[in-house]
Amino acid sequence: MSKAATVPVAFQDREKPQEVRLSNIMAARSVADAIRTSLGPKGMDKMIQTGKGEVILTNDGATILKHLSVLHPAAKMLVDLSAAQDVEAGDGTTSVVILAGSMLACAEKLLKKGIHPTVIAESFQRAAGFTVDCMKENALAIELSDRESLLRAATTSLNSKIVSQYSNLLAPIAVDAVLKVIDPRVATNVDLKDIRIVKKLGGIIDDTELIPGLALTQTAVKSAGGPTRIEKANIALIQFQLSPPKPDMENQVVVNDYRQMDKILKEERQYLLNMCKKIKKAGANVILIQKSILRDAVNDLALHFLAKLKIMVIKDIERDEVEFICKSTGCKPIADIESFAEDKLGHADLVEETSSSGEKIVKFSGVKNAGKTVSILCRGANLLTLEEAERSLHDALCVIRCLVKQRALIAGGGSPEIEAAQRLLEHARQLEGREAICIRAFSEALEIIPVTLAENAGLNAIQVVTELRSRHANGEKTAGINVRKGIVTNILEENVLQPLLVNISAIQLAAETTKMIMKIDDITLAR
Amino acid sequence: MSLNPHQIFNESGIQERGENARLSSFVGAIAVGDLVKSTLGPKGMDKILQSNSSGDIVVTNDGATILKSIALDNAAAKVLVNISKVQDDEVGDGTTSVCVFAAELLRQAEIMVNAKIHPQVIIDGYRIATKTAIDALRASSIDNSSDPAKFRSDLENIARTTLSSKILSQNKNHFAQLAVDAVLRLKGSTNLDNIQIIKILGGKLDDSFLDEGFILNKTIGVNCPKVMENANILIANTAMDTDKVKVFGARVRVDTTGKLAELERAEREKMKAKVEKIKSHNINCFINRQLIYNWPEQLFADAGIMSIEHADFDGIERLSLVTGGEIASTFDHPELVKLGHCKKIEEIIIGEDKMIKFSGVEAGEACTIVLRGATHQLLDESERAIHDALAVLSQTVAESRVTLGGGCAEMLMAKAVEEAATHEPGKKAVAVSAFAKALSQLPTILADNAGFDSSELVAQLKAAHYDGNDTMGLDMDEGEIADMRAKGILEALKLKQAVVSSGSEGAQLLLRVDTILKAAPRPRERM
Repeated sequence: MSKAATVPVAFQDREKPQEVRLSNIMAARSVADAIRTSLGPKGMDKMIQTGKGEVILTNDGATILKHLSVLHPAAKMLVDLSAAQDVEAGDGTTSVVILAGSMLACAEKLLKKGIHPTVIAESFQRAAGFTVDCMKENALAIELSDRESLLRAATTSLNSKIVSQYSNLLAPIAVDAVLKVIDPRVATNVDLKDIRIVKKLGGIIDDTELIPGLALTQTAVKSAGGPTRIEKANIALIQFQLSPPKPDMENQVVVNDYRQMDKILKEERQYLLNMCKKIKKAGANVILIQKSILRDAVNDLALHFLAKLKIMVIKDIERDEVEFICKSTGCKPIADIESFAEDKLGHADLVEETSSSGEKIVKFSGVKNAGKTVSILCRGANLLTLEEAERSLHDALCVIRCLVKQRALIAGGGSPEIEAAQRLLEHARQLEGREAICIRAFSEALEIIPVTLAENAGLNAIQVVTELRSRHANGEKTAGINVRKGIVTNILEENVLQPLLVNISAIQLAAETTKMIMKIDDITLAR
Repeated sequence: MSLNPHQIFNESGIQERGENARLSSFVGAIAVGDLVKSTLGPKGMDKILQSNSSGDIVVTNDGATILKSIALDNAAAKVLVNISKVQDDEVGDGTTSVCVFAAELLRQAEIMVNAKIHPQVIIDGYRIATKTAIDALRASSIDNSSDPAKFRSDLENIARTTLSSKILSQNKNHFAQLAVDAVLRLKGSTNLDNIQIIKILGGKLDDSFLDEGFILNKTIGVNCPKVMENANILIANTAMDTDKVKVFGARVRVDTTGKLAELERAEREKMKAKVEKIKSHNINCFINRQLIYNWPEQLFADAGIMSIEHADFDGIERLSLVTGGEIASTFDHPELVKLGHCKKIEEIIIGEDKMIKFSGVEAGEACTIVLRGATHQLLDESERAIHDALAVLSQTVAESRVTLGGGCAEMLMAKAVEEAATHEPGKKAVAVSAFAKALSQLPTILADNAGFDSSELVAQLKAAHYDGNDTMGLDMDEGEIADMRAKGILEALKLKQAVVSSGSEGAQLLLRVDTILKAAPRPRERM
């Protein structure tokens, strides 16, 4: 033992590091394989049964992985990877995992040839940098005023989802929503919190619509016969309660005889009436009441008074909605009846409770001096499609956000990957030594995207990919898989475009994770 | 009677003596050394630490982190863990080296003990050797602190050397710049509290950046001004709800609802009074560690004061440090409270999160490093790496002498020690030359980890040093010996010195042991 370290080339004589590495690669690859079939327009969906027994139907990589309860450390890293892509780009969460799996598979072959893992990891990083440069060269710069291109990018993203047949409807919604909340000339990022997706069960996805301003799922309270439609609305958002007083300290009302009971009731009435009158006096005719845990936000008596005063009441506003409501209606939250004043109100032409397909929502239209916010009302026939529609819409919004961040598009259909793979091969020919082999392997790893696209579309992957290769070798830089027709065509003519940022980020993140997994040589149990 | 063993110890107490004790401490220490050995150097590998209890995983290459988290039962191994902890606290880096070095010294000592050399003689020899080694190291070190440009490049080189053995090796240039910029802002102080590290999932490592000022991961209260220039900040830790009477069972008895309403009003007034008091500090930004409720929030917003609630302990303390304000909890004496100041407070978006940025803060040293990365493991490991680099750099600013890395300094010391051994009469000489052997083990491990032929390389290196080329070291990219000064592979003198002296001290400590007594574990009480 004492001399073990001085044996020349101590690397091969230890089995454990290699085994640990192979087991990590194995685990990571099986995660990648698990979601491989959901890539692309002809990808299949997964049905997930959660621990609570809920069923989720999705084809979004990040969502699938989030619900897979993986145990293996390396597999967990891949789940994280997909989450990171979700944060960074919002789309391409499946691709990034598949890419990482494929890179690891290629790295495994290299390891078996006896190449040192750090050499592989570093060469892969360099190759990833090269790929990114190559993709940047092939990208098409766009302007945010070019609505057509934005639409095409959103459509490409939506085409691979369950809701693909509605992509013509959802894509414009996503594009318009983003363009509404930003100033296209100066924006470099989009705060997606300014876009509120409201889900309502019932109806069909076709009924999904973009609402400038605000839509609330909470309905107007009608139990006391209050109005449900107010024109020239003055909106107040209150954070106090319209119910009998209740101080924070523990209290007890001591009643000695029956006359006092009358007095208590009368005082309570008076108390509430005063509050309601104050509200009326300030000119408010629509009030939104924040939810309260400690006591009733509004009681029946107060509702009755408010109805008499022709004030529309909407209750159960969550605290985290307050910011958005304020921004979109221009009102300021009022936390105490004493400070209820006109300058805190927001104004809208019409506040109306509308019902469609049996579900009611409250729409605020014609809001004056509103902030830059929009709501998207998302409809669906059942909960599963509804939720998937929301996720898809979120992905589409992210795609547009990517374009705001980096204004460039790149062809889809596996064409940039094949092009980069070809360029890498050329590059590898000029190198010598171990790095050349590693870069060749990386180019092979990139081809997983077109291969998977073809496989999922039921095409002959070998045929398609070799055709792609030869076309790209002949200079057709934009040849890609046309999944709809099942042939290789110039993908630009098919309008299959995606943001450059999604691809770049996928390659870089996958390469980073590969590097990390390659560098591990031991798993130690810790406290 | 004489046959009966004397039971001196408690039943489960254990005593190990003489040879057994020494063997057990050798075996334990060497095992720990071997465990972390493979993480050493630019081609060192990482380890996955999988927690037994929670299943969390940590991927790391930092010796101190690995040793801290594994559960050890061996007393000697624990001493080694402690050495590495001390190294972490004092210098911040070299935690693996110190542990490996101590283990190598013990490995040599084991051979000598087997050759019938008394441990005390070995200790004497090691002492002589340590002194010689450190003298040689100091003599070879260079101080460039008088020339700012040269010193900066020294610092960058040190940062690169430190980072090249970590996860950030691919991006070491970027991060070396970052770390040097951050440390130079500190102007000689070694207090790293001024440098805040924020980790945000998403993006790639290269997207990480240094931001002057302070970033707080919180949101600004509803309706408050979102941008504030020339802010006067009051940092507080106070409850903003009504001051409840905290006597158990305290309650108020009233006989009418009106009185209840009055009580409630009184509570409100109290809150308002507190806000008024806070306002009288002439501030425009109020940051509280605890919650600020709706009502105070509205009052602050009305007064145009930015309020930030629920900033955590850490955030509050750092804020107080960087803005120069004191944390206040009573507000009766505005003239006594020290306010914090900064030029500008604004909201920024990083990834998907909104954060609050304080720029132009009082303490010009303060800055924030924002780390981006694909997985949590990557981020955590990057944070550790950056922290190590910052610690080493800040120490170097204080003690500006530098020495060479890549096994060069070790070989230089080994040569000096070897020479000292030839002048040493008596058997101490054996121990002194064993020390030299242990030193030359470090470059051997470097080469082994990179998968090169270590015997060949180390022999070449040794020959080079004996030929007088005392700047030669191992170039782990090419697998050959090279001039370390030309390659810019520098290390801080303080770091190397600490490795040698505390490694040797630790080994001496363990050598002196001839008995290990294990106290009986405290009997478990019945639950």
